Amino acid sequence: MKYESQKVAYWFFAACMLLFSLQLVYGFIMGVAHMGYDTLHPWIPFNTARATHTNLLVVWLLCGFMGAAHYIIPEESGRELHSVKLAYIQLASLLVVGVIAIIGFHLNWWEGRKFLEIPRPLDYLVVVNILLFIYNIGMTVFRGRQFSTTGMVLYMGLVSAALLYLPGMVWFDSQTLDSYFRWWVVHLWVEGVWELIMGSILAFLLIKLTGVDREVIEKWLYVIVGLTFISGILGTGHHYYWIGAPKYWLAVGGFFSALEPLAFLAMALFAVAMYRKSGRSHPNKISLLWTIGCAILSFVGAGFLGFAHTLPQVNLYTHGTLVTAMHGHLAFWGAYAMIVMAIITYALPEMTGRKLWDNAMGHLAFWSSNIGMVSMTAAFAVAGVTQVYLERRMGLDFLQVQQELDVHFLGLVLAATLFTVGIILYIWNFIRFGLPSDEVRLKPLEEEDDERHVYAAQPA
Amino acid sequence: MLSKSQARLFFWVGTVLFSGVFLWLTVDTIAQVPDQTHQQNMSAAVVRGKHIFDKNNCMGCHTIMGEGAYYAPELTKTYERRGEAWLKAFLPDPEAMYPNARRMVKYDFSEQDLDDLIAFFKWVGEMDLNGFPADPPLKALAEPAAASAAGAAGANVLAAAPAVYGQLCSACHQLGGTGNAVGPALDGVGQKYDAAWFNTWLADPQAVRPGTAMPRLPLSDADRDALANYLASLK
Repeated sequence: MKYESQKVAYWFFAACMLLFSLQLVYGFIMGVAHMGYDTLHPWIPFNTARATHTNLLVVWLLCGFMGAAHYIIPEESGRELHSVKLAYIQLASLLVVGVIAIIGFHLNWWEGRKFLEIPRPLDYLVVVNILLFIYNIGMTVFRGRQFSTTGMVLYMGLVSAALLYLPGMVWFDSQTLDSYFRWWVVHLWVEGVWELIMGSILAFLLIKLTGVDREVIEKWLYVIVGLTFISGILGTGHHYYWIGAPKYWLAVGGFFSALEPLAFLAMALFAVAMYRKSGRSHPNKISLLWTIGCAILSFVGAGFLGFAHTLPQVNLYTHGTLVTAMHGHLAFWGAYAMIVMAIITYALPEMTGRKLWDNAMGHLAFWSSNIGMVSMTAAFAVAGVTQVYLERRMGLDFLQVQQELDVHFLGLVLAATLFTVGIILYIWNFIRFGLPSDEVRLKPLEEEDDERHVYAAQPA
Repeated sequence: MLSKSQARLFFWVGTVLFSGVFLWLTVDTIAQVPDQTHQQNMSAAVVRGKHIFDKNNCMGCHTIMGEGAYYAPELTKTYERRGEAWLKAFLPDPEAMYPNARRMVKYDFSEQDLDDLIAFFKWVGEMDLNGFPADPPLKALAEPAAASAAGAAGANVLAAAPAVYGQLCSACHQLGGTGNAVGPALDGVGQKYDAAWFNTWLADPQAVRPGTAMPRLPLSDADRDALANYLASLK
């Protein structure tokens, strides 16, 4: 850690841990309801649990990205954060809006648009909040001593994510157009600009952890985000197959979606190659584990499992079944949850000065949560494929088929328990680090042995 | 070997080019959607129905056009599958229709809300969705020959049924091998009860048998009489 203000990130990460724990609780409520025990229905009906589960995910990931930005941007820009106070105000207000939204979900106050359930008045508050964040980070970037590719790609990803929130706020009467533009937010986030954020965090971590030349890493970062956009933008078409949009989307979406795994494959190969080239043995083994794990599992979950049901011929039968839940869980975990876990494990020792970076609990947290999540994915896969055959191919009644699937949800809940053990250990470790310390020496614990190649700073 | 500036160029050219194509296709899509979704039929009731659908987060359990959650049935073709009478009977008290099954929230829908929602389902069901939802290709294989034979016999019995039978009763009861198995099968039910009994029963199931799972269906007097006579004829 080089700058005092990077410590702000700690509180964003702490908020992540809190929201993530709550997300798991709602996941269990849904898993158990799927098994046939919907005892909580009068207070927390399924749609409430579902909206809470997915929105908490989005908010904690955004919190994680913001934390990452507050940590990375000062270091990449070579100056303190523009305003520490603004960062705290922004975090606090984000949490307030989040809490109000979640309480609203329990009182039937929402917009029932998948993943964008937050009601309209709160949307405006979210926009204000994000503008604060963009301003604060932007001032840090543009008044910085240097421009680095990693920092710029991260900032570009954050700004684009903010801009792409807006199409989700346009009011449509047609279900088709509503859905069309809802995917501009959801798809172009997770299969577009969020990959910029993920890629740049990955690049930052690889620079720090492997000691490979920044120039090499940043060159590949460009190639990866280039591949992401080339495949991902028109890949949006896979959401337009069956919503009343023209038929050419089947061809366009099918072709470009099939290319989407390339970006994730490149990311995985790149991370492994950089690790092998590694000239430095960084003591933070756990962060390295999360970093490499993220690159590999994002390919499996987002790339491969996405591809598995994205071809129109397959998707005609799998669309709107538990097969989607299978892909969704491993994709979000591999690509986005794990990159946040990786930057947290990297930043904590830097901020607190405590070196819990190769301990048994940390390793166990990694393996337990990952084996748990892969098992959950398998349980969803079995349930999903069974549903596709019984309901979509043989034409049995929906509820009859669901009864056949109960048992797979027992498997799911057991796997989720293993996953949760991992997350509890991770959070326990997080708490053991303690608060950021004032006595932390303000320089990176690893020296960058190569010279920093940066573009000349533009006049502010 | 690729240099960093070439990589940067690759990123920018790719991004700008494909964003451009995407915007162009979006413009074309917006132009084509009204035709493909029969927008001329999108009445005020349909629009109100859509917002009721949104306001209660129906997508939080159901899918429509395959989008939403995977806890409750797909609703794209619900109008075609269930019909207006069934939807009107079901929505005010979902648990009455499916006792001991997965539960749905009991919403306080007004008559107008129900009409609006049904108009919305009808409109969505009539869109051209490029073939979604597909007809189950293995359905014929899934039904063994014996069941088809029973089905043929059942078809004769069902042919005599009043229209309201197919709209409401078969959602829970089986007759001649057709229908769902939520309530008891109705084959030979005319041997146990007569038309007068059925009439009283259908008018208010709770009064005849307190605690029964049978819902009180919103039937007109004429429909109730027709149904009672039909059921009594099933010897």
